[in-house]
Amino acid sequence: MPLDLSQPLPTIDVKAAVSPEEWEARVELAALYRLAARHGMTDLGGTHFSMRAPGPEHHFLINPYGLLFEEVTASNLVKIDVDGNIVLDNGFAVNPAGFTIHSAIHMAREDLVCVAHTHTVAGMGVSCLKVGLLPMTQHSLRFHNRLSYHDWEGVATNLDERERLVQDLGTNNNMILRNHGLLCCGRSVPEAWRNLFALEKSCASQLQAMAISKATGRPIVLPSEAVRQGTSDKLEERHGKATVSRDWPGQIAKLDREEPDYKT
Amino acid sequence: MALDAASLPSIEAQVSPEEWQTRIELAAFYRLIPKHGMDDLVGTHISARVPGHPDQFLINPYGVLFDEITASSLIKVNMEGDVLSDGPWPVNAAGFTIHSAVLSGRPDVMCTAHTHTIAGMAVSSVEGGLTPLTQKHMRFYKNLASHPYEGIADDADECARLQRDLAGHDAMLLENHGLLTCGPTIRAAWALLYNLEKCCQTQLAVEATGAELVVPSEELCDRTRGMFQRMLAKPGAGDRLDAWESSLRLLAREDDSFMH
Repeated sequence: MPLDLSQPLPTIDVKAAVSPEEWEARVELAALYRLAARHGMTDLGGTHFSMRAPGPEHHFLINPYGLLFEEVTASNLVKIDVDGNIVLDNGFAVNPAGFTIHSAIHMAREDLVCVAHTHTVAGMGVSCLKVGLLPMTQHSLRFHNRLSYHDWEGVATNLDERERLVQDLGTNNNMILRNHGLLCCGRSVPEAWRNLFALEKSCASQLQAMAISKATGRPIVLPSEAVRQGTSDKLEERHGKATVSRDWPGQIAKLDREEPDYKT
Repeated sequence: MALDAASLPSIEAQVSPEEWQTRIELAAFYRLIPKHGMDDLVGTHISARVPGHPDQFLINPYGVLFDEITASSLIKVNMEGDVLSDGPWPVNAAGFTIHSAVLSGRPDVMCTAHTHTIAGMAVSSVEGGLTPLTQKHMRFYKNLASHPYEGIADDADECARLQRDLAGHDAMLLENHGLLTCGPTIRAAWALLYNLEKCCQTQLAVEATGAELVVPSEELCDRTRGMFQRMLAKPGAGDRLDAWESSLRLLAREDDSFMH
């Protein structure tokens, strides 16, 4: 088949076609894709981040299928319903199979705006460990007693699995998909990013620490249970108040300087 | 001054449009290798069959870094090792052995890629090879060939053994050496290589811990491999998952000389 390298452009003026609130949401979600790409959390066209579109319709925004995260823009994000059907045709396709996990969470958890799923080496790595995430660092204590696990059942196209995904997530916002990867959610896009970033770093540092410990026989030192819980509670309290974190505006400013096309 | 591949005159007018496209895609594949940290200076190779000439293939000019390879600088050879194009660079003899073995033994294969990454060399050196750890690994579950190391692959006798070991597979561990993937298209070989590399990296990270693992059942592994195989058997099925055009646009945005 002849190779077409022309930049695929939206077939409609998306900014004009959507509410100002939805446009703002699109810009935020596009920023999340770009940040994840910058931090190496990509898997070619696999894995997705989705967001509840503002409004009462139960519509969602997701990345255009076939584009790397580096090419995602506010306008090429695709608006779909909970079954993955496109509700605003902007000329781009979606991966309905990739939305199965996301739709399960979106349907069950109205409080969560954004669902992000990755297949990073560190995330996949910890997902294979029986012990799961250790309460080892300040980053990982954020998730102490607040992290769920879901056993791998094969490629998630089975709608029955939705119930088990939701049950396993419970009231937590973050989950390790065993033998598969990470799932991080947030009441806002910045919150989902903060969770994803912290969980990724937690996984990467844990794998390194465990390798050193195994090789040298020196044990991993974990904080006491009181410190674990105290830290976890403090972080929860601090972040629980604000769904916009201190780190988000600075990262957006950097994207605005270096790759402002995400906002188009 | 060192010779610069991008300064060679374009040969676009001298080859068929199909060959030109193959050259662009193959040059892009070379450029993606250092982008993803899979390069080994001027070592390793990727080849693509010349459209309409099943007995000819394109391979890298030996001595050019992968991030400088261009469509016009790729060398055309036949299965006997005769060089059919003009240019200042030779063909890597070991590359010729490996690629001519795969391409002559497998008419269904259009592209073959080989790397010497840290993760690939490590996994290829450990008994048992790739462990079925995650969903991503299932593409290779009971579906990964391996070939024992025989020294530098410049011995034509090794061709037959490479062909025998690859058999019907599209990915292979070259023991004590690295990774090899092949596919019916250039993009398919790329996606497979990307995924195999990530699987090896994950395995190293996981197994270095020495910790107890969650091991998927054989039944689940078999089922998932079957599902991936059925899914990817449909022509073009992987074409969005691999985001190939997107990768090429990003390359071109930074430096479009690979299309020269």
